[in-house]
Order: sequence, then structure tokens, then C-alpha cells
Amino acid sequence: MKILYKILVIMTIGIFTASCDVEEFSDLNGPEVDGLVEDLGRGDLADLVGGVFFSMRAGLGTYYDDVGVIGREFYRFSSSDPRFTADLLGRENAVLDNNTFYITTPWAARYRTVKNINIILNALDNSTADFTPQEISATKGFLNTIKAYELLLNLNLVHENGIRIDVNDPNNLGPFVSRPEALTAIRSLMEEAASDLASGGDSFPFNFTAGFVGFTTPAEFLQVNKALSARVAAYQMDYPAVLNFLEDSFMDLSGDLDKSVYYVFSEDQTDLVNPVFFPENASAAGVRIVQPNFITDAEQGDTRVAEKTSLRNETITFDGLSGDYDFFVYKSRTDDIPIIRNAELILLYAEANIVINPSEAVEALNIIRNAASLPDYSGPVTQDALEAEMLNQRRYELYGEGHRWIDARRFGILNTLPIDRPGDDVFTQFPIPLTENQ
Amino acid sequence: MRQIIYGNLKLFLCLLFFPGTLVIAQETLTGKTINESTGEVVPFVNVIEKGTSNGTMSDDLGNFSITVNSLPTTLVFSFVGYETQELRVTNTSPFTVSFVESAAALEEVVITGLATSIKRSNSANAVSSISAKELVGTTTPPTLDGALYGKFPGAIVSANSGAPGGGLSVKLRGATSLQGNTQPLYIIDGVYIDNSSIPAGLNIVSAAAGQGSSSNQDNPSNRIADINPEDIANIEILKGASTAAIYGSRAAAGVIIITTKRGAAGQTRYNFSQSLGWTEVINLLGVRDYNEERVRTSFGEAAVQDFIQARDQNRLIDYEKELFGEKGLISITNFNTSGGSESTRYFASVTHNNEDGIVANTGYEKISFRVNLDHKANDFIKFGLSTNYVNSTSDRGFFNNDNTGTSMGVALTGTVPWLQLFPDENGNYPDNPLGASNILQTRDLVVNKEKVDRLIMGGSANLDIFKTEKSGLELILRGGVDYYGYNTIAFFPKELQFQKPANGGQNGVSVQGTTTNKNYNLSAFLVHNYFTDNGINFRTQAGLTNEFFDQNQFLLAATDLVASETNVDQATNTGIDQLRIKQEDAGFFVQEEVNFQDKVIATIGLRGDKSSNNGDANELFYYPKASVAVNLNEFDFWNQESVLNQFKIRAAYGEAGNFPPPAALFTSFDNFTNVGIDGTLKGISLRGVLGNPDLKFERQKEFETGIDFGLFKNRITGSLTYYIKEVDDLILNSVKEPSSGFGTQFVNGGSLENKGVEIGLNAVLFRNRNFNWDLGINFFKNESEITRLDVPAFNVGAFGATLGTFRIEEGKSATQLVGIGPNPGPNGLQVFGDSEPDFQMAFNNSLRYKGLELSFLWQWKQGGDNVNLTALLTDLSGTSHDFDTVDLDPTGQVGNGPFRISQLGSSAEVFIEDASYLRLRELGLYYNIPLSLSDRIFNGTIQRIRVGFSGTNLINIFDYNSYDPEVSNFGGQAIFNAVEVTPFPSSKRYLFKAEFNF
Repeated sequence: MKILYKILVIMTIGIFTASCDVEEFSDLNGPEVDGLVEDLGRGDLADLVGGVFFSMRAGLGTYYDDVGVIGREFYRFSSSDPRFTADLLGRENAVLDNNTFYITTPWAARYRTVKNINIILNALDNSTADFTPQEISATKGFLNTIKAYELLLNLNLVHENGIRIDVNDPNNLGPFVSRPEALTAIRSLMEEAASDLASGGDSFPFNFTAGFVGFTTPAEFLQVNKALSARVAAYQMDYPAVLNFLEDSFMDLSGDLDKSVYYVFSEDQTDLVNPVFFPENASAAGVRIVQPNFITDAEQGDTRVAEKTSLRNETITFDGLSGDYDFFVYKSRTDDIPIIRNAELILLYAEANIVINPSEAVEALNIIRNAASLPDYSGPVTQDALEAEMLNQRRYELYGEGHRWIDARRFGILNTLPIDRPGDDVFTQFPIPLTENQ
Repeated sequence: MRQIIYGNLKLFLCLLFFPGTLVIAQETLTGKTINESTGEVVPFVNVIEKGTSNGTMSDDLGNFSITVNSLPTTLVFSFVGYETQELRVTNTSPFTVSFVESAAALEEVVITGLATSIKRSNSANAVSSISAKELVGTTTPPTLDGALYGKFPGAIVSANSGAPGGGLSVKLRGATSLQGNTQPLYIIDGVYIDNSSIPAGLNIVSAAAGQGSSSNQDNPSNRIADINPEDIANIEILKGASTAAIYGSRAAAGVIIITTKRGAAGQTRYNFSQSLGWTEVINLLGVRDYNEERVRTSFGEAAVQDFIQARDQNRLIDYEKELFGEKGLISITNFNTSGGSESTRYFASVTHNNEDGIVANTGYEKISFRVNLDHKANDFIKFGLSTNYVNSTSDRGFFNNDNTGTSMGVALTGTVPWLQLFPDENGNYPDNPLGASNILQTRDLVVNKEKVDRLIMGGSANLDIFKTEKSGLELILRGGVDYYGYNTIAFFPKELQFQKPANGGQNGVSVQGTTTNKNYNLSAFLVHNYFTDNGINFRTQAGLTNEFFDQNQFLLAATDLVASETNVDQATNTGIDQLRIKQEDAGFFVQEEVNFQDKVIATIGLRGDKSSNNGDANELFYYPKASVAVNLNEFDFWNQESVLNQFKIRAAYGEAGNFPPPAALFTSFDNFTNVGIDGTLKGISLRGVLGNPDLKFERQKEFETGIDFGLFKNRITGSLTYYIKEVDDLILNSVKEPSSGFGTQFVNGGSLENKGVEIGLNAVLFRNRNFNWDLGINFFKNESEITRLDVPAFNVGAFGATLGTFRIEEGKSATQLVGIGPNPGPNGLQVFGDSEPDFQMAFNNSLRYKGLELSFLWQWKQGGDNVNLTALLTDLSGTSHDFDTVDLDPTGQVGNGPFRISQLGSSAEVFIEDASYLRLRELGLYYNIPLSLSDRIFNGTIQRIRVGFSGTNLINIFDYNSYDPEVSNFGGQAIFNAVEVTPFPSSKRYLFKAEFNF
């Protein structure tokens, strides 16, 4: 009895004492930003850049569906999400919503990467680790190239609506700037990155994914920077600059058209798989079906049709749309997706030369045609005809790589894209996401 | 040392106040307690000598014996559910006390403080309580939360899916938080109970969280389902801050306090019951009325041939019926025993539940053991111990939303009757040519299993430090631990259509989850009672509380399996996810109650809390409460013979808090991998939540007022309550401009107000020796409004404005549903509804004729809208049951299917549907076999045999285009859950039960 009473007293005292202080926990489930950027170490930098490689690919499937479906390259059927065939194709009264995944997901994902990059750029300035000035320069060059590219992808979606360039301070974001201003800013970011890469020494202080084989030194990566710059300049219709950039890029008129930097994927559980792959003969639960005109418009003998599509066992019909061919550009869940390919560079070379040097343009187009087992171009060598041919080659060569809609928009031929159901619309651009409060 | 002083003190006090005690001769009174109307024994009645603390309890046969100091004296007999009797006794001859059942259990006690309770007739709050009889008396529910439907006003209980094993959300008095916790705190016998819903990782296959919706749509069960309803003696529901303030910063969503059954002194009692029955789907939608033309239009020419062939061979199959048409067998076995001596009492029970679902290979099995012990060491120390072990397994099937067309519900939308999906004689299933999944194969081969091993233990010690006629001081110590291991297995073998690599599958997926959860709580209280000479009682309590919560979740996912091994190491790709949740809270509680002769009862109290979940863990937050109740009928001016025999006016105010979500304070990275040049590259990428270290609690302030009355000697009793509760510093997962790189940031950004009315009415409509009819009605209405919003209005929940979404806007209801539409407001959106019901009512009838009992509970929910996307998904596949019916198109031109499709992208109106319903929630019909008969058969060894039939959801009336308007795709997490995407249909239950007391 006496002992019991004592125990009770001790327990009471124990509780009183224990109540005095409560333990404080940090984030138990992930590294905190503040802890990492306070003093960036070598290992931290590698992890953070690894995160950039990761987040570059987030939301990418939606991006390709957006530009591919509106560009009438393929249909995207999803029995669990009707908006791919309603909103994106403008069925009847449907319009593009400013708060739906097709714009919010890729938009946020690209800016997430930009933020990941900005965090590293700020941390690099504070670091007391033993990074050499060359390494810092090289890292900045790499990161700013990727940042410019990410911004360009968002600009591709919203077009004339413009984007924000200055997004460093989450509580004080810079303004939305018009498309020309945004292109200028992206290009100057690319150019700043180029000069950083040029003074970046021999190596980067981090590892690359397998998609960058051949471009893993600052000098090699500079060629990627130039290639992407050429695309930006083409969007600006600044063709002399396109040719200059191509000069320093990895363009190789006699080389492999597939030479490229790639997004790579794996089935590792914390990695991503290729989001644009569906198996052949998939059902309407989830499938991409080639827009029928792509088959019928193709030149006789164009081997790219068979390479990039696959004849289905049965016609598929969903929401008033039918097709016989599966979109089959990517053959497995771990297939790479190119960021920019030699083929595109050659086509940019052709495009830039249409006015400057038409015969060189024809040469370039023939490289692409011949690779697809098509004979040399035999049409008229006029600006209009060459543009049409160039756009046609881009349509087939870069099929499913996210270009058709943007090309049609650049050259003012959105009205020539096929309308599959009465009442469908071809939209020019996505609205700015609602949550940007514009 | 202390003991000696204490003993001396007691002796001293005894001598001081009762100098004559030892010399007066004592008298022993004996008697029996029976029910006036039935003549049956009423056991375990409290017998107290009026004006003293001298008391006893009648035994299981109603016999009692009490020793009094002198005669004449007055004895007070009380028992929950019966009217209290006072009897003047002048001699020692045995007598019988006849009890009258009271319409409302006014003499029961309700909680007022952490360590004290109060007679209901003196309570200043509308605390609802549910007795064991109300809980499981009519029918035996599969889970505890499922037994709460319609039993008290102020709650909206809704099932998230019909899958066996539970999954319910309970919302008390409207929306209490927009993005914080909205589920009440559960406390069982003083132990804080974890009620998590932990996903099994189905998302790896379903990708439901892929398309912009990050919410978990795995639809796991919630852990309160582990508690066995048949062990419960009583549930008290603290619906808002005015009562729940005593639980401080965890209590904003209300507190549900559960007390389990305990033993009573006397003969050992045994109770055995067995229920057998089945469950079946409430309704099936049916198959579209196909003909050649319709098949051609929707599916193309090739399908027409298949259709004709199947039709002519008479093998058109109703796959909906094939999938949901099973009758699941239910068996519930319960055995309990109780008894003990005056000093030690026990209650022990074992329950086994085994239920199959309406889909083959789904089901729920639970084994629960309970031992409750009470020990009175001497007349000033008492110990109590409650232990409960639960082992449960649920097979939940693969349902709910997905973005891969593989879950059974979504796959069914594309499954047409002319398909042949049955396996061949070797058990090989054909692929479904029109969809990603063969539903029969998915049903038969996919495993989605949850297993729980749980131990809940609570202990208490009560120590009377001193006790006199006028005052007493009691020390109460309580501690409890809730520990469980939770394992999930989600297994998708490689032969599944959607797992075959040729179909883009992952060649088999095995996801195994392991969670360990440990909560423990400690508290110590001192309660001081003081009675003045003129009948004023001062009760003071003060104490400390300390709670710890620790949860560790692992999810191991493996894809590309070796030979369909379920072990996660037998695979090419594996990944691990870990989530840790830790929290420590500490606080104090003080309260003073003053009771002036039961006429005026006033209470004032304060709780202070600190928590590791705050920016500053050691900052104290204070939650005050105050209340007053005036029993007008106790005053002298009241005519005691008045028809209105009880009339109480009451008012109460209190504050309570709600924690920020744990991740809200930090800006952090998540880990990922990439394929690098030399193997795997690891990377960290921002989580998307901008941390806010300055985040504060949500604070709820509730004022409630009301009247309680009794008419005709409490044959009719009623309670009317009005409440207004305001939530300040509302935690909002405020949307950041996505260009900042962050999706959201938690901020304290607004205020929310709920106003509502609760009415409860109980009446004894008829009562005599042979026939009784009791009726209980409750009514509940709540309205919410966002009174202040510091962030721009935003859409939340569901799937975007095209399909209908919730929208948080200042001056509007917190649960309004908006969407794109033909007549948009200035924000471009049109309001189409509100998920908050206009009102809810329940009618509870209990009739008894001799040994025959009939009880039934009707529940009526009026209004409240759902976003129903099931119809749309079937429309797009051309399979909706009403595809060709013309009743939606205002111009009467096109069928419902084409009409809904045509609205897609132009108006969300057609997807937002009224989810009103009227349903016979419970029905029970029982017969008590007369003792004369059972005695003859069992030779007197059996005291009572009760047999009967009961059912749940037997009649369901609604005009809602799906299985059941009560559904949620988004689980019990938030208030934005009235969304339907091809759910697991809900079911009705039929049970036959036999119960033996011996």
C-alpha cells in the first residue's frame, strides 16, 4: 500500500516534469532547403543537379499531349478523362480552361525546375566549398541553358499571353512579359550561359544522365546550348542568328539524324517512365491514335510513317473520333525522348536558308528526305514552296516531338489543320493558369 | 509517512463529523428492482441513501441489500434509461421497486471536464450520447463509425465507398477546417485513438494522383473501424469547441468519447450471440438498351457483328451484375462474460466478424479480444484497466478513380455485354479488346489487402486523498497506449492484361506497406469537491496532460516481378517510400464548477496547450470555456405539478484548436532517381510546398445555447440547440503562383462561420404492460460561410471547373460547387450547388409487444449535391444505362448520354447532382423467448433467449444517377469529398441473430 502510494506520487511528479518541455522536430521526411543552401557542398550540388534532371521530365507527358493533340498529330483517348478529346480539340462549345491539368501541370512543372535551378544558382554564390571558378562558371552555364529551355517550353504553350522571366523571389515575382520580350530574355539567358560554358574549364562538378552522352564537358555542352539557341532564334525569325548558332552547335549535315540530348527514363520506383508511350492496340482506357490525315497526307514511300505509327488490329472509336493507327514513336516505357535532335538542326538550317540561300535549303531538305527513303525535292524553289516543303518535312521528321502545332502557329497555317468533328476548334494558345492571378 | 498522516487525518475527520457513528445500531434493508411495465428484473440499479454517500447496487437478479444508520430514511434508486425513484422506508421488511423507462435518459451523466462528468439534467451543453442499445441494439454494424448514422443530431456520417472494412468520415456541426483535419478526435477509455487512413500504394498502378490531382484516391479504410461496436457501453459526442475545449488544440473537429462495457459485482454472467446473414448491392444501374443501330453509332461497324453474334447465341452478359451481383456472407459471433466481487470486477469479450463483400474476393474479417478490469484496493483507491487486442484483415478490391483504365470501376465503364471475358478451362483470361483491363481477371487476381494488429490499453487510478461529508479531494491518474502494426499488400500479378509488357504493363507489381503507430498519453488530475451547508457544490479540478504520437510508414514497391513472386525482393525494380509523423503535445487544464442546488450550474475552465507542431514548440496556447445552465423547474416558483416538469435554459462558450499539417512548416525537397551514365543518379527536387514557419493553430470559437424540456413526467423530452461557431486563422493551403516554383503555401488566411440548429425529441407514445412505443426524432441543419478570406478566391477539390469543383470565396458557403456554365458570374464560374445538406432528419421508432421488439431508424438527408462523374465516364464509352433515355436535354432532342457529352467543356451543371436520400437505415425485429418456454427446454440454465432479424439500408429512396448518393472518391481527408468516380457500390445487409444470456 505504502509502495503503491509512493509510485502514484512519483508518477504524478514525473508527469508534471515531463509536461514542461516539448521536443521540437525538424522535417522528418525530406531535406530542408535552408539546411542545404546555407553552405553548398560538392555532394549537395550533385544531388541538386540530379533533381533538375528529374524535374525536367515531370509533367512532360501532358506537354506532349497538349501540343500533339491541338497540333492534330494524334488523338489522346482516356476513358477516365474526357477533357483530352473535349477541351483540347475544342469540341462544340468547349474551350481551354485556365485551371485544368493540361495547362497547370506542365506549366508548374517547368517553373518547378526553374526554381530548383534558381536555388542552386543562389547557393553557388554563397558556397564556401572548394569549387573552382571554372566549375562555378560551367555549372551556371549548364543551369542557365536548362532554365532558358524550360521557360521556352512554357512560352510555347501560352504563346502571346507571355510568361514570367524573373521568378527568383516567390513572394515578389516579376511581371508577365510579352512573347517577343520573353524570347529576347530567353535568348540572352542562353547567350549568358554560352559565355559561362566557354570559360567553364574541362569538366562539370556533377554527373549527367545517360541522355547527355557526348555532351558532358562544358565545351561539348556548349553545342547543345547553341542548338537550343538556334531554335529560339528561329522562333524570333532571326535567320542569320540561326545560322550562326547552328555553326557552333552539334549539327552534322552528314551525321546521324538522331544525334541528340535526351530525356531518359527508367522503371525504378522513384524515377519516371516515358509518359508518351502506350503499347500497340491499347484500348480507349489510354491510347494515342494517329490523326488519320498523317497517314493519308504522307508521300508515297515515306518510311517515317511506318517507323512512327503502327496499324491497329481493329479500328478504335471514342468520343466521335476514329483511327486505325497507334502513335508509336516511342517503343517502350523506357524509351528516350529527344530534347533537340540533329534532324531538327538540319531542318532549322533549311528554314534559315530558304531566303538567305535557297539551294542550301534544298540540300538540307534532301538530307532529311533521303533519310526517309524519299527522292530529292523536285518542287519549285520559291520561298512559299520551300516553306511548305520544310514544314511538311518537319511534320513527318519531328512527328510527336512537340513541334507541329508551334510550326503551324509560326507560319500562320493553324487554319489548315484538320477538323475532325463539326464544331471542333484549333486553339492558338493556352490561357495563363488561373492561379497566376493575372 | 504520508500514509500515517493520511490515516490519522481520516480518523480525526471521522471523529470530528460523526461522533455518534460508532454507537448507533444499523438497519439492513433488502428488496428487488423490477420494470414496472414488463415485470422483468432491472439489474444493477444504483441504490443510495438520500443525502449521504452510502450506496450499493442491485445484483443481476435485481436484489439489493443496503445498511442504513437509522429509520426512517429515503432511498434513491437510479438506473440509466429509467426514471429515478425515491422511496421512503420506515421498516426493514423487503420491498419491490418498480421502474419506469424514461423517454430520454435524463439521469445519465455527460462529460464536462477531463476528469469529471455531470448529470445530463444539469449539463449546459447539448452533448449527444449513444447507449449500447442505440448503437447495436437494432442491428449489428460492421464497424463502429457505421453505427453512428442518424443516431444523434449534428453529425454527417458518410461512407467513402461500399468496400468491406469501413472507410467513413464523420463531420460534426459542419465544416470545421478547410485544409486541416476535419475528423473528430476519438478517445476510448481515456486512450487517444489513431484514426489514420493509410494508402496501400495502388497509385503506382492506377496513377489516380497523376493528372493534377495530388489527393490520395487509394481509398483505404480508417482505423477507427478496428473498434468492436459490441464492446461499447456508451458514446459521448462533443460536437464543438463549447464542450470540446477541454481537449484543447486537438478538438476543433469535435471529440468522440467512447466508454466500453465494464463488469458489475455479482453472479458471473455470460452472453453469447451469433448473427448470420448476407450483404448485397443496394441497386444496380443496369445495362444500356443496345440495338444494332446504337452499337453501330457508338462502337463502329465491327462491333455490330460481334453484338449480333453474341445476341443470337444468347450470350450477352450483364457484367455489372457479374461484378457487383454477389451476395456476401456475414457471420458475427460475440461472447462476453462479466462479473466479480465488490472489490474486483471484470468484463471480457471476444468477437469474430467475417464478412464477404458484394464483389468476389473482397471481404473483412476481424477478431477482437477485450478484458476490462476494475479493482478497488480499499475504500480510497480504485484501479481500472482496459485492454483490447484487434486483428483485422480486409480485402478491398481495386476500385475508385484511376488514370490507366485498370481499376474495376473504371474498366467496367468500357465493358460491353458482347465481350467474352470469362477464363477458359485452363483458367486463362482473355484480354479485353475494348479496354485496358478484363474486370473478371482483375477481380480474381488482384490482391488489395490491409491487415492490422492492434493493442489498445488504458489504465487509471483514483485515489481519495481525503473524503468527508462536506468535501473531498481526489487524485486521478490516467495513461493509455494505442499501438498497431498495419500491413498492406497490393499485388498485381504479371498475367493481368494491364501488367503484360506487350500491353505496356509493368510485368507484375507488388507493393507492400508497413506502418507502425504508437500513441501514448498520460494525465494527472486533482478534483476537489466542496458542499456548503445551503446546498452549493463547488467542484475544482486541475491537471496536466501529455500526449505523444509517432507513426512510421513504409511502402515498398516492386515492379517487373520474378515469376509472380509477391516478395518485393523478387523483382527488377524496387522503390521505398518512408513517411514519419511525430508529435508531442503537453498542456494543463483547470476548471471550476458551481452547482447551486441543481438550480443554477455554472462552469468556467481553461486549457493551455503546447505542441511540437507549432513554429515555437514551447509556446502555450490557451483555450477558455464557460457555461451556465438554469433548471427553472428546480426553483420554488415552479409549479411542481405542471405539465412541463423540466425546463432548462443553457448557454456555453468555448474555444478549441486545430493543428497545421506537419509538412506545412518546412520548404523541403523530395528524393528521386534518374538513370545516369554510370548507373543511377540520385536527385532532390522541390516538394512544391513553400514552408511557413510562422503558421499558427486554427482557432475555433463556439457559442451554443438552447433549452431542454420534459413534459408529462418526462414522457416527452426535447432539446433545442442553436450554435454559432467561428474558425479564425483558418489554415489554407493557399495557392502560390506556380511560376514561383511552388504550388502552395499554408497560411492563416481567413475565417469560417457555421451556424446551425439541432433539435432532438423523444416521446413515449404508448406504454402499458404489454405494449410500448417510443419515438425519437432528430433534426439538424447547418450553414457555413467564409466570412473572411485573405487570399484570392480559389477552386479546390474534385477535377477542375469543367467537371464541377468546390470554390472558396468570401461571403459564400464553404462547400459551394461551381463550374463553367452558360451564365457565369464575374469570376467566370457559375454556382451549381452545395455539398452541405439543407437539413438532416432521423426518425427512430422502437416498439415492443410482450416479448416482441421492433425498431427501425429512418434517415432523411435533404439536399446536398455531389459531383457525379460516373455517368460521364460511361457515356464516353457508350455504355451508360440511360444513354438513350431522353430526360436531361431541355429541348428533348438527344439521349442523356450524348447530352452529357455535349455539355462537357461548356457547362458543368449536368455533373452536379442532388444527393438527397431517404433510407431505412436500420431495422430490427426480435423476439424474446418467454422464460417459461426456455426454462422448459434448457432446464433453467438459460436466462434469456432473443432471436430476430435485422437489416441495414433495406429501403433507399433517392433520385441520383448512380449506386448511392452517399459516396466519396476522396476518402475522409477533407470536406471536399462529395465526388463520385466509379465507386465500390454500397450495400444492404440482412442479419439473423440469436442471443443467449446465461
